[in-house]
Amino acid sequence: MPQPPLRHPGNHNNAMKTLIAIKEQHQSWVRDAFPNMHPLLLPLCNKPFIEYLIDFAILAGSREIRLLSDGSLMEIEEICQTGSRWGVELTYANIRPEDGERELLHKNRKFCNGSRTMILNGYTFIDYDKRLDYRVLANHSATGPIASCSTGSIAFAGPPEPAADDNPLPALRITPLDSLRSCYHIAMQILETGAERYVLPGYGSEPGCAIGRNVAIAKTAEIRKPVSIGNNVQLLPGTIIGPMAVIGSNVIIDKGSSISGSIIFDNTYIGEQLEIEGRIASGNTLIDPESGASVAMEDPHLLTGIHSATNSATLLRKTIHALAAAILILLQAIPVIILYPLLRLQGKWKNGPITQQAGLAETLAARLSLDRFPLLPKVLLGQLAIIGSAPRSNSPGCRPAVFSYAEAEDWPVTGSDAAIVERYHAVHSTPFNDIGMTIKALINRPHKRNAGAAA
Amino acid sequence: MAFRLETQNGITIGIAELDERLDAENSKALQKACGDWQQQTPFLVFDCTKLDFIDSSGLGAIVSCLRRSLEKNGDLKLAGLNAKVSMVFELTKAKKLFSIFSNASDAAASFAASRQP
Repeated sequence: MPQPPLRHPGNHNNAMKTLIAIKEQHQSWVRDAFPNMHPLLLPLCNKPFIEYLIDFAILAGSREIRLLSDGSLMEIEEICQTGSRWGVELTYANIRPEDGERELLHKNRKFCNGSRTMILNGYTFIDYDKRLDYRVLANHSATGPIASCSTGSIAFAGPPEPAADDNPLPALRITPLDSLRSCYHIAMQILETGAERYVLPGYGSEPGCAIGRNVAIAKTAEIRKPVSIGNNVQLLPGTIIGPMAVIGSNVIIDKGSSISGSIIFDNTYIGEQLEIEGRIASGNTLIDPESGASVAMEDPHLLTGIHSATNSATLLRKTIHALAAAILILLQAIPVIILYPLLRLQGKWKNGPITQQAGLAETLAARLSLDRFPLLPKVLLGQLAIIGSAPRSNSPGCRPAVFSYAEAEDWPVTGSDAAIVERYHAVHSTPFNDIGMTIKALINRPHKRNAGAAA
Repeated sequence: MAFRLETQNGITIGIAELDERLDAENSKALQKACGDWQQQTPFLVFDCTKLDFIDSSGLGAIVSCLRRSLEKNGDLKLAGLNAKVSMVFELTKAKKLFSIFSNASDAAASFAASRQP
């Protein structure tokens, strides 16, 4: 049955408003593919999907936008808040799955307040161009839909505003965002078109290369445009990024790996010497966007998720580390009381490691790792971890500690290999594993020192 | 890991059926068994039809077997990789090292075909 034209009661003086209505049924595929991600935050070229809709609403002249959904909007509200970041007023409301455009307008009549209203309905990508003036659409378009596709539409309600110009109507294309395949192709299209057409995150000194904050790029890493790189990314030596690569935030690409024609979602670790071409990687899952086939890698050396420590996890780790430090202090206290004055008088214990092991006292002090004793109280104060990165290292992404994971694993304590071992454990080790690693470090350190002395 | 020998066109080909998992637990066993198989023939086919999971140590073991076969002027061919295992080979660039066939008999036949005048 054909729908009657949309009409809106009320006065015509207010500026245009936008209703963005997205229903769960259209975004269920995102929930299936990325269970921990809100579908409205699905990144398209490192920019959440919802921000494209907000951008378009602003380009069309809206200053008041209401986001409607039949699912939870709490996460979106926390991120987008009142919309002040965009200079608009953003509000939120719930709808029912069966609500049509008429019901949406009726339920939000106070918000619309008789103004010209644009309704962005459905999970679709609006292929806008920021250089064009979409206010003309609001001024000239008749009431009813102006563009539609299988998953949504753009429609206007309320009487057109008086035309103040003769600018031509800009062409508008909307694309269904209904599968991993469409998500991949839209992201690649955005990347190819670049910042000329869309408002994209990151900065770059040349077109086709957008880089976020706190990105560490090794000297031997290569970037081939076009690429988009998020925040807090590490590109280790020998990596090749691009062409056509979208690297999300909090990503590590390990040595010698290459990424092209692919999307790496946030919080992903890509192992050494891997080649990712035409794929989507998210956490430990590798997806073929064309077929939809996905593989959850069980091997953390290949592909794995990076989880940010939550406050409770951090607290647990600090507590366990402090307990371990307290036990070590108790165990080392008596040997330190006896040996410290002796070695100090002999000038063999300064404010660093015990270097000479000729005598019994020095050997004993070295075997018990007494040189680390002065650092242990800092663990109790929460200033150091019991085990982490090279002792007292303050490099970005490191956890400064009394003992290092490299010492525990009996790797070279310095150099890039040690850094990789430490980074791996910093991501994967649990607080309880840390205790085991600390014991290993205590055992391996004298062994390593003896081996060094023998050599 | 079942192993059998076939002779085609005068070439003795060893066909090994890999188990469901190939990881740190059994990759050394594969390397050891492969050493014994290579005493019999350097022309090997690994039938991966049952293989459902492979990790980096498993991959290392297969690459090591390939290297030893090549050193003996033979080859190691793979057959019956499922999508999951195939994606791991692709990801690690190991796919470029191997001749991969849809089934073990095609892989074995390819050895024979390469010897035809």
